Amino acid sequence: MYLSLVQPSRTTARRASQPEKPAAPQTHAVFRGRALPWLLLFPSLLVLAIFSYYPAMRTLRLSVFRSNLIIGNEQFVGPANFAELLSSPVYQQVALQTLVFVTLVVTLGLLCALGLAWLASKPIAGAKFYRLMLIYPYALSPAIAGTLWLFLFNPEVGPVNAVLGHLFGLQPRWLDNPLLAFGLVVLAAVWKGLGYNIVFYLAAIQNVPAEITEAAEIDGATPWQGFWWVVFPLLSPMTFFLLFTNIVSALFDSFGLVDILTRGGPVYGRAGITTFLMYQLYQDGFRNFKTGAAAAQAALLLLLVVAIVLMQFRYGNRKVHYGA
Amino acid sequence: MNKLTTLPLLALASLSLVSLPLVLLSVASQAAAQSTTAQTTTVDFWHTFGDAKRSGWIQARADEYNKAHPNVKVVPSFKGDSNTTFQSTILGARQGQPPALVQVDGTSTQLALDSGVFQPVGSIKPVDFSDYLKPVIQYYTVGGKVNSIPFNASSPVLYFNKDLMTKAGLNPQNPPSTFAAILNVCAKLSAAKIDVKCVALTPFSWLFEQWLSEQNVALLNNGNGRASRATATNIDSAAGRKVFQFYKDLNDKGYLTNTGKLADTVGTNAIFTAQKALMTINSTAGLGNILDGAKQSGFTLGVGVLPIADGSTRNGVQIGGASLWVTKGVSKGVSEAALDFALFMTNTKNMADWHKVTGYYPVRQSSVNLLRNQGWFASSPLQVVAFNQLLSTSPNVANAGSLSGATIETRTIIEQGLQKVLSGQSVVSVAAATQDQANAAITDYNKNFK
Repeated sequence: MYLSLVQPSRTTARRASQPEKPAAPQTHAVFRGRALPWLLLFPSLLVLAIFSYYPAMRTLRLSVFRSNLIIGNEQFVGPANFAELLSSPVYQQVALQTLVFVTLVVTLGLLCALGLAWLASKPIAGAKFYRLMLIYPYALSPAIAGTLWLFLFNPEVGPVNAVLGHLFGLQPRWLDNPLLAFGLVVLAAVWKGLGYNIVFYLAAIQNVPAEITEAAEIDGATPWQGFWWVVFPLLSPMTFFLLFTNIVSALFDSFGLVDILTRGGPVYGRAGITTFLMYQLYQDGFRNFKTGAAAAQAALLLLLVVAIVLMQFRYGNRKVHYGA
Repeated sequence: MNKLTTLPLLALASLSLVSLPLVLLSVASQAAAQSTTAQTTTVDFWHTFGDAKRSGWIQARADEYNKAHPNVKVVPSFKGDSNTTFQSTILGARQGQPPALVQVDGTSTQLALDSGVFQPVGSIKPVDFSDYLKPVIQYYTVGGKVNSIPFNASSPVLYFNKDLMTKAGLNPQNPPSTFAAILNVCAKLSAAKIDVKCVALTPFSWLFEQWLSEQNVALLNNGNGRASRATATNIDSAAGRKVFQFYKDLNDKGYLTNTGKLADTVGTNAIFTAQKALMTINSTAGLGNILDGAKQSGFTLGVGVLPIADGSTRNGVQIGGASLWVTKGVSKGVSEAALDFALFMTNTKNMADWHKVTGYYPVRQSSVNLLRNQGWFASSPLQVVAFNQLLSTSPNVANAGSLSGATIETRTIIEQGLQKVLSGQSVVSVAAATQDQANAAITDYNKNFK
């Protein structure tokens, strides 16, 4: 049993008019007035206001100024920051790189996680140990993960090249060959996200009712058919959820990994090939101190997030099978 | 229990959860307020050394000073790398709570001046700078005024593996001192069929700037940005192209190695001390660590002067490192104590000791004399090379070091240029493009003052 508001305010009523799963008639506890729900919301709203809304407003304001963090100046420039960014070949390249990076990380990450979770869900000896080991990369901070990969792939003294050199006489330049460096960051990001995705997929797979898979087996489905036609559709709510959390984390959380592993390099074309939108923002805002330009980038990223969330609301309930 | 009666309880509980940190905060601030009303003057000193060796040394000096001055409490704290420390200082000052004393990297000198957060040390009380080494003090002198107290100072040198030199049939007593000599050594090394790379060298703008300085070319116009605000760079000059060409020659012939990251001197040091390369070029500040690494891998380390471009006379190195700035927003008593501590920490005896512990130059002539009298140079001959290189530098515009608020950005641009050359692009086109990009960055910075 849970609490719900019988008289939501008009705006939320309109927003909530998206087709939710039709709620079964339930007995709801009822708030008699408006004061209590607001009182209960107040702590969260206060925290959000101080740590999210106010800084966000300040950032939006700053995006129309030329400003340097160190000098502390503010010169009104109108939309110039945005015009400069959108017409800048560097920023365009960075945006394109980010798109490719996010697509690769999310696709590869979800595929690997689903496969591994499927295997780890099997009743085999040591399954619990495998599960633990698969989840563990998630417990590492991005900085430590980055340092690990940096050490492994150091072209001269790293263990990976020592093995490759010994076996095949190869010494790939992992960090200054643009293609290899990009691939390395993608792999590291996929690996870093695996634990999180596997946990969710494992839980979802274990929630698939055994009768259904058994029925499929009795009907003569091969393991692959059983997976693809029966289990995978039942996992679609989880896939959908992971799709969006992964897009957001590839966009925003790859930052620590990139900073330690490649510092956005190596340079290819007009920018470092592993410089993504978030890292570019960091570089401009906190290394080059161009606060105004960085704020404009933050505003653009905000638009991107709004678009993603809208998509999530729009498609969230159409293509997804909930329940059996 | 009835749901409706539990609700107010829940509300109370959640409210108290929120208010708890607030209460704690106000208690803490009251406590802080009380401690400042006591009779001691607290000097917050923010520095950038996270390692035990250097931060421990600073803490020990603060302890000594606090013992000798019972009414002053110097509190040194590590605030992250130079960029983070600098940012924290600026933000602290904007909120009216600056630290009194801050270690600011030389590359941020112009930014520090433009921030308006600091006061020239000379305005606190007259300071006698005559004892400071000339190349050091000129680096921190802007418009005839010394703004800060020089602290950690270094310059680049050539590190080489003496054992590998001997093995390759080269004379370890005569390390290469020019670009051509390095290429020559590399050719002999590869002829000797020893399976190591010749030079571990990372795309590093600080070295690019040093090599311009050695050729008596200022990196920036308007007197290296010291006569008036710089508006353009000299990257695409004959001197600049020689540096790009040096990287290209080493790379094309397979003599060069690095980790592939820009300015990754930690990486090239690791390659060098793992005996995967015959030589590396890095700051004298790394001498202690490289020496430790060499001992661990069991080879004899050699140090030579910074090799320079051919066809020029040695114009001298420019200083790298940081100095101690006093902020404006503190009381007169605090700023005087901060300056007094800075001068104590960099006095003759302490700087000589600092040099022995870290490999940084002692910034005072009297410290050099003290070390000489102690016989230090005879017992540590590796340090002599670096010293002579610095002491033989006669100050001029080029080796005074460049001054610009966009230095951090232009350094990355130069390093990306070096990387482009390593990836096979032509020196001529890269030098021109790098200059354009760097000039644009400087122009963009200068727009802040229109």
